[in-house]
Amino acid sequence: MLKTLISLVVVSFMFIHNLNSQTAQVVGVRENTPAVFALTNVTMVAEPGNVVNNATIVIRDGIIEEAGRRVSPPADATVIDLEGKTVYPGFIDMYSEIGMPDLGSPPGVQTLTGVPEEYLEMIQGIMRTQVTDEVGRAAVHWNPQVRSFYRSAAVFQPDNNAAAELRSQGIVMAHIVPKHGIFRGYSTVASLGDDDANMLLAKKDVAQVLSFSRSRELGGRYPTSLMGVVALMRQSFYDADWYKSAHEAYRNQTGIPQPELNISLASLSDAVGEGTPFVADAADEIGFLRAYDLSKEFSLDMWVLGSGDEYKRIDAISRTNLPVIVPLDFRQAPSVEKPEDAMNTSLSQLRDWYLEPENPARLVQSGVPVTFTATGLRNKGDFLNHLRVAVKRGLNEEDALRALTVTPATMLGVDNKYGTIAEGKAASLVIADGNIFADNTSVYQVWVDGKRYVIKDDKDARGEYTVKNGDVLRNAVLEIKGTPSRLSGTISIGEESADLSSVRFDNERISFRFKGDDLGLTGNVRLSANLSEGEMIGIGEKGDGTFFNWTAIKTADPEAETEREARERPSLALDPLYPSVDYGIRRTPDQPRYVLVQNATIWTQGPQGRMESADLLVREGKIEEVGRNISAPRGAVVVDGTGMHVTPGLIDPHLHSSIAGGVNETGYNMTAEVRIQDVIHPNTVWMYRLLAGGLTTAKLFHGSANPVGGQDAVIKMRWGGLPEDVLVEDATPGLKLAMGENVVRRPDQYPNTRMGVEEIMRDAFLAAREYEKQWNDWESNGNGIPPRRDLQLEALLEVLNGERKTHVHAYRQDEMLLMMRLAEEFGFTVGTFEHALEGYKIADELREHGAIPVVWSDWHSFKVESYDGILHNAKLLIDAGVVTSLHSDNTQIATRMNWEAGKVIRSGVSHEDALDLITKNPAIALGIDHRVGTLESGKDADFVIWNGNPMSAFSIAKQTWVDGRKYFDREEDSRKREEVQEERMKLIEYLLENRN
Amino acid sequence: MKNIFKTITGLTLPVALLLLLAVPAVQAQIPAPPQEGPVALVGGTVHTMSDGVIQNGTVLFEDGKITAVGTNVDIPSGAEVIDVTGRYVYPGLIHASTTLGLTEIGRLTETVDLNEYGNINPNVRAEVAFHPESEHVPTASVNGITTAVSTPTGGLISGRAAAMMTNGWTWEQMTLRSSVGMMLNWPGMGNTRSRDEALNELQQFIDEARMYQAVKYAAGERNVPRHLHDVRLESMIPVLEGEMPLFIRASELRQIQSAIAWAEKEKLRIVLVGGRDAGYVADQLAEKNIPVILTPVISGPARLWEGYDESYTTPAQLYEAGVEFCIGGESSAAYAFRLSHHAGSAVAFGLPEEEAVKSLTINAARILGIDDLVGSIEVGKDATLIVTNGSPVELWTNVEQVFIQGRQDDMMDKQRRLYEKYKEKQRQAAM
Repeated sequence: MLKTLISLVVVSFMFIHNLNSQTAQVVGVRENTPAVFALTNVTMVAEPGNVVNNATIVIRDGIIEEAGRRVSPPADATVIDLEGKTVYPGFIDMYSEIGMPDLGSPPGVQTLTGVPEEYLEMIQGIMRTQVTDEVGRAAVHWNPQVRSFYRSAAVFQPDNNAAAELRSQGIVMAHIVPKHGIFRGYSTVASLGDDDANMLLAKKDVAQVLSFSRSRELGGRYPTSLMGVVALMRQSFYDADWYKSAHEAYRNQTGIPQPELNISLASLSDAVGEGTPFVADAADEIGFLRAYDLSKEFSLDMWVLGSGDEYKRIDAISRTNLPVIVPLDFRQAPSVEKPEDAMNTSLSQLRDWYLEPENPARLVQSGVPVTFTATGLRNKGDFLNHLRVAVKRGLNEEDALRALTVTPATMLGVDNKYGTIAEGKAASLVIADGNIFADNTSVYQVWVDGKRYVIKDDKDARGEYTVKNGDVLRNAVLEIKGTPSRLSGTISIGEESADLSSVRFDNERISFRFKGDDLGLTGNVRLSANLSEGEMIGIGEKGDGTFFNWTAIKTADPEAETEREARERPSLALDPLYPSVDYGIRRTPDQPRYVLVQNATIWTQGPQGRMESADLLVREGKIEEVGRNISAPRGAVVVDGTGMHVTPGLIDPHLHSSIAGGVNETGYNMTAEVRIQDVIHPNTVWMYRLLAGGLTTAKLFHGSANPVGGQDAVIKMRWGGLPEDVLVEDATPGLKLAMGENVVRRPDQYPNTRMGVEEIMRDAFLAAREYEKQWNDWESNGNGIPPRRDLQLEALLEVLNGERKTHVHAYRQDEMLLMMRLAEEFGFTVGTFEHALEGYKIADELREHGAIPVVWSDWHSFKVESYDGILHNAKLLIDAGVVTSLHSDNTQIATRMNWEAGKVIRSGVSHEDALDLITKNPAIALGIDHRVGTLESGKDADFVIWNGNPMSAFSIAKQTWVDGRKYFDREEDSRKREEVQEERMKLIEYLLENRN
Repeated sequence: MKNIFKTITGLTLPVALLLLLAVPAVQAQIPAPPQEGPVALVGGTVHTMSDGVIQNGTVLFEDGKITAVGTNVDIPSGAEVIDVTGRYVYPGLIHASTTLGLTEIGRLTETVDLNEYGNINPNVRAEVAFHPESEHVPTASVNGITTAVSTPTGGLISGRAAAMMTNGWTWEQMTLRSSVGMMLNWPGMGNTRSRDEALNELQQFIDEARMYQAVKYAAGERNVPRHLHDVRLESMIPVLEGEMPLFIRASELRQIQSAIAWAEKEKLRIVLVGGRDAGYVADQLAEKNIPVILTPVISGPARLWEGYDESYTTPAQLYEAGVEFCIGGESSAAYAFRLSHHAGSAVAFGLPEEEAVKSLTINAARILGIDDLVGSIEVGKDATLIVTNGSPVELWTNVEQVFIQGRQDDMMDKQRRLYEKYKEKQRQAAM
């Protein structure tokens, strides 16, 4: 009777709130169903750590009126007895796209004629025109990805199906973020009931949402790379700042033109000014730190949507003090059943799969504020399952609850209404049939703002029933058993019994059949009944068509379910690895106070030349001395170099490894604003392989897709380090420029010829000079609209002022010559020519200008402009007195630069000159020769110990040292391989034993 | 230490003189006429590859064939005697898997003759498209490569590879042996659907070839009508008869095992080309006597967990397991000359140096079925030799003289020509 009443209440309650809103016109008679409830006999978890047994919660008009042990239901309340149930504050999803509209797919690409097929694909990727969505041609940002003006509260469309999925996991409220763009606009907070937006929205314009990935649906051609995204973000924040001051100047002064109106920049400027939090997504733990860098540069209150990888750099991440929103979409287990599949599964894949569930615990233990989201889960029903896995893997239950309730409510600024069960707060609750963090617990109901949603029907047909009347089945005993979704049963009359088949129970109607023959009945006997309050009121039909009535009452409850035993999984206790991949290291190698390498052939590449039977002394990461018979200081680490050769650490001045999110920003022909330093990704095993080949330093370059590419970064192979650790901060900054075939390929943009290449560069440098003048003028008189900080022109201006080296991708002599003359016109010196296949044709001109050709040993003929590449390139350049460097432009080649140098000896270069090409000279080219490149007193102790002449095909690196730390050792390497294998096998065994 | 710096002696005197005299007119490699009188290389260290190393040995050749090898060779009067004291004589190097002569600049499709239309092209022959004027051919020869097996690529059956000499006027003259192998690209095994489609196509084609073979054998018998020709099936007959091996390109271990099992079932003779994962199935390859043309050795590991030197150590693994193999280097025509680097890197990681040289000479010749002509310094074989100043698999070794069937190479290629030209520019500027 009570249950019937409740369902009636719910139906009418729903009806009231299906009216548009409180301000809507009433149609028909008014309906004012009372909404006063008392939930009694509950175990109430009012907030993390506060559990009240036998509590009563009184809810009046959606608000908790009273909650506690000594509360009596008021006289007007409908009492709901929840004996055995546990009530929690409703959960909050911190990053949801629920109810956010789609933009639809991008418009078709216009037919391009006369375009070579190989370029068509590239063009199709960038020619998508801007989609006209609801903003149409408003005064928006020039880049369609910048949508800071967008307000999700204004477009939120309740989606009850999606909400129901979340409610089934106890989630009653969501922080809702817009779906599109790099600057996505304002988020909102809404309850996840089935009302209209008017009733569900709890708070608007909560945070500004950023994404490090571009939305293709929005179109636009820029940015195409992660570094371009960062550059666009930075420029937009600077522009927002400028926007504010420009409009202030316009308001306060007369006689100046109006600065542009731009709703994106206006919103961005407001958000920054008002201290609105920003939410950014991180693709991995390095992405997290990237978001942090952005927050520092612009003093943003930043929240980060995590990736599940945060544990990999937990120290660095906890130091940021940024809260993290952890998605519970744990990775799937890799397939390792077949040996060939297992062979193709790396340690990093296995570790990622195994360790991700520990991430929430590790974050909490490190003091990071944690919240959760179901975003990313294909099946939202896994949210609680994954949460429980996280609890098994160390997450304290109270902390888990806090991450689901109090922490998000506080961050969202709704903690006075949500997040705990307390007087005056909204009745948004989760009711479970036990501890919600235990495996077999189900969510029974959720309440959203005082409205009840039944998640699990507690109607259960199972039990023993005895037929009370009816001639046919009198005194028969029915036993209904099985699971709620797969029922089975038996019927017994006297000694005989038969199995029931097709047992169904749906909305109080139960039906089944059995073979009657054994029970003295004819054929298939089919039965159905209304089952309510333990009584079946039924009908039946025998195989001969005889129709009959029957009733039965419950005479015994079902046998208690045996709890599914959760198998305890052993813990593998894996050590952290930095990075968490194959060959990652447990800790940074020690830097001994002294290291002495004795009795080796030492190629200093400095004034001391090559010394036989010599010693190298290192002190605290710096070279102390190269000489003979150096005595070992007390406690020195002594390495016997007998028969060995020691060289400076090898330097590759042109590498594209360890870069996240694309090497080229191809969006425009001029992208000096993009920076490799924003996207250094030192997590690839290649860094270890580079060390194994003796490489200690490299310049990471932007590609050569556009005439003005991006800013580069010099790194040292400090394996296991973070981007900030590997960066060489005092290297001369550089800018990649490019000429020749690569940059003239796009028929849709300037330049199409080598003539155009010169002009677009001249134009850019002229603009940079004017930019400088604009600033100088404004700084001297301070009147008018302040100039806008332009990151692109700034980088070009640094080139003109000699503060930034140019690294010019060029193959042919004509283009190198024109670049040198152009540089001379603007008063700067070209830093390097990258590749410079025809450098040998203008060796004297290069020397006179002072540009350094950075060449390959023997590449040629892979495209037309490389047809004249010759092995003797370096030889002719060296003969003409040009400082020349080799480079790899290829990660595998960079692992064996000594062999590249060895090759050029065939053309007549001496061994020492050949080694200069990969040590001393690239150091000069990168502006780091004050630190590295030679073995001289005071320089960094970056050196390699070889088992023979390093220029020989038959020699390999035995040890590689960076900053006086041994990062590679051939002997340790074989042990490392065993460790990698052992750990892989341990994880594979575990996976096979504990498959989900 | 001193040995290490005993490096460049540059070009041999006759060649250097030729260059000095002819700077403005230097062209890339002018093929020499057939050998006229006998030539004797005397005083060098002769690495025969078949019969050990002969110190202070003499190699005598006449009409393009080796006539005597040893320390006690009667040199006929009138023979040209070339003193190679302090130098090393090796058989010419063999590149067992290249596209030399078939491509010039990869990006220019007009210069690429590799991949015939359609999926099954056993009838096409590499030698007829071998471009004698390709600039990459002399570059290969001055770096010691005297024999290059040019291979069509693409599709399922790409066509027939040809062993080419790297010096000559026409492809006809340059062909050492036609149809040394039938190129077959084993399907990738990752996608089961495309794998099954390709394997079915292959099986059906082999079955059809057998039907064609039966018809061919029956030709002329009573009551057998005349059958129409099929150039594709016709060219498979030597494969079915075991005269021509299938050169099966396969890298991943499932491919390798699948190819081996299929060839056993079909009773076909195969050579494995590629063999990235060959080290993992080395014992099976040895047991089943399947030779491997390993390409390339200088490469990164295929799997993250593998050692950094996985690829470099594969030759040593095959050697230790007793697999017959040679080293094929990179397929790119422009980089054919890098062949010896691949063998040298294998030495750094455990392959004996002598074996590395064999992998470019006699072992390659045997696998390719051209060891009756080249691959070792033996009486009766072609006088196809190189004279070097060191190990041919060391990076800094210079090949100083090259003889192909007794004809001496002029040691000129495009790279040296440009070198000479711009040396002259520097000389003029210094004046």
